[in-house]
Amino acid sequence: MNADRASHLSLILDLSPAQWHLSSAPSNPSPLSLETFLSHVLTFVNSHIASKPENTLAVFGALPGKSVLIHSSEIADADGSVDIPGDPNSYRPFKLVDSVIAQNIETEIGGLYLADEEPPVALVGALTKALCHINRTYQTSAERSSTTQNSDAVPEPRILILSVSPDLSASYIPIMNSIFSAQKLKVTIDICKVFGPDTVFLQQVSHLTGGSYIHLEQRDALLQFLIMSFLSPPFMREVLAVPKQDKVDFRAACFCHKNIVDIAFVCSVCLSIFCSPVPVCTTCRTKFPIKSLQRLQSARPFQTGGPSGIANGVSTPANGSPKPRPATAS
Amino acid sequence: MAMQKGASSSTSVKTAQHSLLPFLQTQSQQSLTRLYQRPSSCLSIFRLLDPLSRQLILNLLWLESPVPLSVMTAWVTTEGTRAFDDAVSILTKLHILPNPSVKLSLSPTFKASMRQAIIGGGTTASFGVPADAENKKPPSPANLDAYALERWETILHYMVSSGRGQRPREPSRGVIKLLTDSGLMSGSEAAPQITSAGFQFLLQTPHEQLWQLLLRYLVMAEERGIDLIEVLSFLFMLSTMEFGWDYSTSSLSPTQEVLMEDLRDYGLVWQRKAKSKRFSPTRLATTLTSSLPSLPTSSSSSTNTAAVASGTGATSEGFIILETNYRVYAYTNNPLQTAVLHLFVNMKSRFPNLVIGMITRDSVRRALANGITADQIISYLAAYAHPQMRKFNPLIPVTVQDQIRLWELERERVKSDSGYLYQDFQSLGDYTTLVDYARQMGILLWESPAKRCFFIREDGHNVMKQFIERRKVSGGG
Repeated sequence: MNADRASHLSLILDLSPAQWHLSSAPSNPSPLSLETFLSHVLTFVNSHIASKPENTLAVFGALPGKSVLIHSSEIADADGSVDIPGDPNSYRPFKLVDSVIAQNIETEIGGLYLADEEPPVALVGALTKALCHINRTYQTSAERSSTTQNSDAVPEPRILILSVSPDLSASYIPIMNSIFSAQKLKVTIDICKVFGPDTVFLQQVSHLTGGSYIHLEQRDALLQFLIMSFLSPPFMREVLAVPKQDKVDFRAACFCHKNIVDIAFVCSVCLSIFCSPVPVCTTCRTKFPIKSLQRLQSARPFQTGGPSGIANGVSTPANGSPKPRPATAS
Repeated sequence: MAMQKGASSSTSVKTAQHSLLPFLQTQSQQSLTRLYQRPSSCLSIFRLLDPLSRQLILNLLWLESPVPLSVMTAWVTTEGTRAFDDAVSILTKLHILPNPSVKLSLSPTFKASMRQAIIGGGTTASFGVPADAENKKPPSPANLDAYALERWETILHYMVSSGRGQRPREPSRGVIKLLTDSGLMSGSEAAPQITSAGFQFLLQTPHEQLWQLLLRYLVMAEERGIDLIEVLSFLFMLSTMEFGWDYSTSSLSPTQEVLMEDLRDYGLVWQRKAKSKRFSPTRLATTLTSSLPSLPTSSSSSTNTAAVASGTGATSEGFIILETNYRVYAYTNNPLQTAVLHLFVNMKSRFPNLVIGMITRDSVRRALANGITADQIISYLAAYAHPQMRKFNPLIPVTVQDQIRLWELERERVKSDSGYLYQDFQSLGDYTTLVDYARQMGILLWESPAKRCFFIREDGHNVMKQFIERRKVSGGG
């Protein structure tokens, strides 16, 4: 097996105008505008293609209410419709990728309908499209040549999500489904949280697919972070220590109200999660006996479902382990 | 076997070094710095490096201040320490990382050019000046492929048929000189004969062949007094050019215009006329620094442009089917491939699109006598295996593999050494003392106490003579 294998990178850019507006606000400790962000990302993308001529790239944009394919090496190679005049001072593949990405993002953002309230960003849509793209392009060819020696000619796929939007609890189920597809496709998903608080679900995404999750604090050093943590393909990570999160928030969202819950009730038949006891499971239509329902109701300490340990509520593990008490000076 | 496995897993990221790197390491710092002034050269060298070195360069590329070595090593896992040290030492030898003992930072020239390569800009014009569109259309990719293939196969075919007294079309004088100089062919200027190195050369991949010739070309250029850096930067510029485009010769130096003639002979560049002001790189040139197939599928005859066009872009398909009964079916009509196969296959019959042959003891021994190794035969068969054969695991039938290796071992049954035979000893005492001494010195090759004679290595003869004389003196005195 040749260790120096080509790799495929699917890059998902979170392009929520509202969040980027907040991010570039001068009140931030280190403001980062979308333009600066994009210039860092384009340099990162060029470094990826520079590493090996066989490396391939796909860029997806998650916009409010829709997701789009911004650039794909396969498509760009095939039609060649983009006409960029030759420039003696730049390497043409880089220039091609950069101008296509910049141009498409500009059209997409320019074409947004500016409503008072921005619909949530279609991150899941972009993630699913990326997975489908990988499946279509690489998995079929990998299967065809899996028994032969040149299976390492097929690029090793991975996904990198650059996220700025907060968690969207409604997308819990589709995100979990994407995780399972990614695991099946053996795709590593890396997350870089460029702006905003940690998101529970994306942490789980990277943890379960063997990727790394980084919450960017020094945002002016975005490019350096991207290169050092996310440029190395998965096979290199045996040699290079890539930062992984030390603790993962494993909380789930309930199926009934899409709230993120610490403690929940789980259907004994189909494992659906509910924030309060229900007589009939909404997913599999299983009826629960009235008696056990009453017992569960009485066992709940707070009707609002506060985060405290109860014996018979089936709980998913809560965030982290109990914090160690500060040692007293002796 | 177990040990091998352990070793390979610990160095899983380490790959074979590209053949150009050792050559670059022999160059002086001044000339390398001159080479690094051009962004295209930096990008090409960067691509020839191993993955860890590449990552290291990129890590340091955007940093303004040097990084302490300890910070970088903290970022490498314990398994990767050795690979990391190797990477640092290679980069130091290439003068990309000057004095890495304490702090790491890229050489300023390299850093500036590499940055320019990645983000564009500058005025070096190192990626080639595209020719004006005017009314001349650039050659079609199919034509370029056909041209490169025709040139390359002419060279290989010339080599392979020289051993059999055929006279195919001759490549240019420069190519023949290159082949004889590199030891791939030897003999008179008019009719050189292929050497054992040449036979081995034929079984390599086009990529390896190309670099082997280019390396030799670089050495020759040095002897001819041509500026090496000009040659290298020209090659690197070609490798970063766009396939299927027309470039202008206006930015080339006079040396590079001379080089153009040679590279045209090898099929790396295409020009409409010798004095043309524009040139196009072929796929041989644009894939110099990648592992993409550098020649279109060569099973189609080079005159058939339509077939070449249909094969472009696709990876070159194999054409050989090998059965466990040693029969070889090669779906090809290409005289070159047939000729290469003929090196180790006994040909039986030939059809318009198919050649049938048999791997026999005689045919393999003939190849071995030419200096080809069993491993080269096996890897050639594997590299060009027909897609149908790729369903099998292992690809090459084990019986055939083993038998080819056994035939190779067969030739090594008798080992010859030159040396001296000592015999006609008067007494057993004399004999045993001398044999013991020879054994102690490690020069004894063979002994026979019954016949009272022994055989020692050639270089041990003087030691033995002195020993005997010392004994005579001490015995007599």
